[in-house]
Amino acid sequence: MTIPLSALDPCFDGVVPSILCTLASDGTPNISYLSHVARLGDSQVALSNQFFSKTSTNLRGNPRAALLVVDPRSGTQHRLDILYRESVHTGPAFDRMAADLRATSEQLGMADVMKLRAIDIFDVLDVRRVQSEQEATPQDRPSSQGLGRALAVTEALMRATDLGGMVDAVLDALASAFGHEAALLLLHEPARGCLVALGSRGYGASGIGAEVPLGEGLIGLAAQDRRPMRVGDASRLRRYGAAIVASSEQEARTRSVALPRLPDAMSQIAVPMEAQGRLQGMLFLESTRRLAFDAEDGVVLSLVARQLGLAIALAEAETGEAAPLLPPRGAEAAKGRAVQVVHHAQDDSVFIDHEYLVKGVPGRLLMWMLDAYSTSGRIDFTNREIRADAGMRLPELKDNLETRLLLLQRRLEDKQAPIRLHRPGRGRIRLEVEDQLHIFSDRNQG
Amino acid sequence: MRSAETCLIDAELAAFLESPVMIIVGTGIGGVPEIGRGLGASVEAGGGALHLIVSAWQWPQTVSQARANGAIAVTFARPTDYVTYQVKGQVDRVAPLTPALQDRAARYAAEIVEVLAGLGMPPAITAPWRSRRDLVALRIRPRQVFVQTPGPRAGQVLSSHTA
Repeated sequence: MTIPLSALDPCFDGVVPSILCTLASDGTPNISYLSHVARLGDSQVALSNQFFSKTSTNLRGNPRAALLVVDPRSGTQHRLDILYRESVHTGPAFDRMAADLRATSEQLGMADVMKLRAIDIFDVLDVRRVQSEQEATPQDRPSSQGLGRALAVTEALMRATDLGGMVDAVLDALASAFGHEAALLLLHEPARGCLVALGSRGYGASGIGAEVPLGEGLIGLAAQDRRPMRVGDASRLRRYGAAIVASSEQEARTRSVALPRLPDAMSQIAVPMEAQGRLQGMLFLESTRRLAFDAEDGVVLSLVARQLGLAIALAEAETGEAAPLLPPRGAEAAKGRAVQVVHHAQDDSVFIDHEYLVKGVPGRLLMWMLDAYSTSGRIDFTNREIRADAGMRLPELKDNLETRLLLLQRRLEDKQAPIRLHRPGRGRIRLEVEDQLHIFSDRNQG
Repeated sequence: MRSAETCLIDAELAAFLESPVMIIVGTGIGGVPEIGRGLGASVEAGGGALHLIVSAWQWPQTVSQARANGAIAVTFARPTDYVTYQVKGQVDRVAPLTPALQDRAARYAAEIVEVLAGLGMPPAITAPWRSRRDLVALRIRPRQVFVQTPGPRAGQVLSSHTA
């Protein structure tokens, strides 16, 4: 083989459809597009078998096939001579292609049509470059750039001293290292099977508190499969939710925050954040440039996401140990206007003056503190007492208290709510209440 | 039931085949298949034959195999909505381009580059697929036309010679 298969990796990103030609026993050709080709090592490729049965029949009679793949950066075409070996329905290569296909077909709105039944494995006999007078030069980056980017982001992360600082440092450092327009950091909420946005850059609205169900969209699918997923040419994708504008009315009606979108996004990448074998959240980057993220970026972002995952796990563990006990301090009576706080126990959603604030664990945390505030005027709390309280002994909180407090703190700031959260020291939480709260909850009224 | 000789490619299908759609070409000889791309097509009046324009410089095997045994399959796919048809037939003549077919190739190239650019594929990236060197016309006698739009009808015969 004159051209190594690994040199063709960009062709296997599924951006420009590949072409397959087979022959029937009487020599009649059959030619079709196929969406996914994957490289298996140095001498085999796998093709997603959503074929029309003609191709499958042909291959059983004559295993020789021709495959044309295209480099999406330059348009360069390569012609592969391939020989059909077998079809497989399980295994890592099948899983990888099934996930890729789900990611694409879900966004094309064709999930049912394109369900993967099997992958067909072929030996690659020869690779030829198709000649052409015009060839665009791929804008190749120096190959060492990836490590430099990883270092820049992890360095910023390393300097941050608290959880909020880490989140901000990573989002800012990513933007300068990768030059994308928008990014989201989401936390995994295992109890509710979703991801919740904790921070963002580059969107009109912050989207903090917005949720993505596991398995839905590129973020949800990458989270479910716990592997990076990329889209390099979103012009093929249906534009979801472009018309959904974040508004208070919308939030109150749906008890949810709209997920921010980059309207003209061409490239997206979603990378899982993991530590100690658990999915902690996701990093998501979007760009209006075509093919903004390559396979190396997937690797670099995985390194960054794991580093961030470890840093968050460490921050959770540290503050758990360092909880100081403070003499309870009473609040001065708030003098502002009357504000209604309503809590729905069913989903722990909290509304302030009819505007949706938050739900789930952060909602429960806020109500726990507001209970103490309204009964005894307390405004100072420690994370240790939250963890120790029977009512708050939730499995979701065991390793996640700090991130949930941060989510609550940021959402309150986002909404410019009359209640704010401060962190005067490690393990300490202080409520700041401007207005007179009238708190209603439908939790065990008796 | 369609009449075999006259209507294998009816006016509606002809208009589709001549519109800016992606054209890929399959041929084969001695059990070895080959792939090429077309640079426009023109349906003869009556729909009994189709002229497919191919660069013999960029796709030499496609042209030589078509010349040798005539067996050919051509898939036409509209990039905007994936509507796809495959025409299978026999090449009965390989000829230089008539002035009309030269116009057709030029118009096709100009139109498809627009369509692809509209979908976010920069012209510089798609240009390598459209060599205009040594263009020839393959005259194809269609035998069968298949619907290949992804979906439940994929693979169905749209029309066929039964005789």
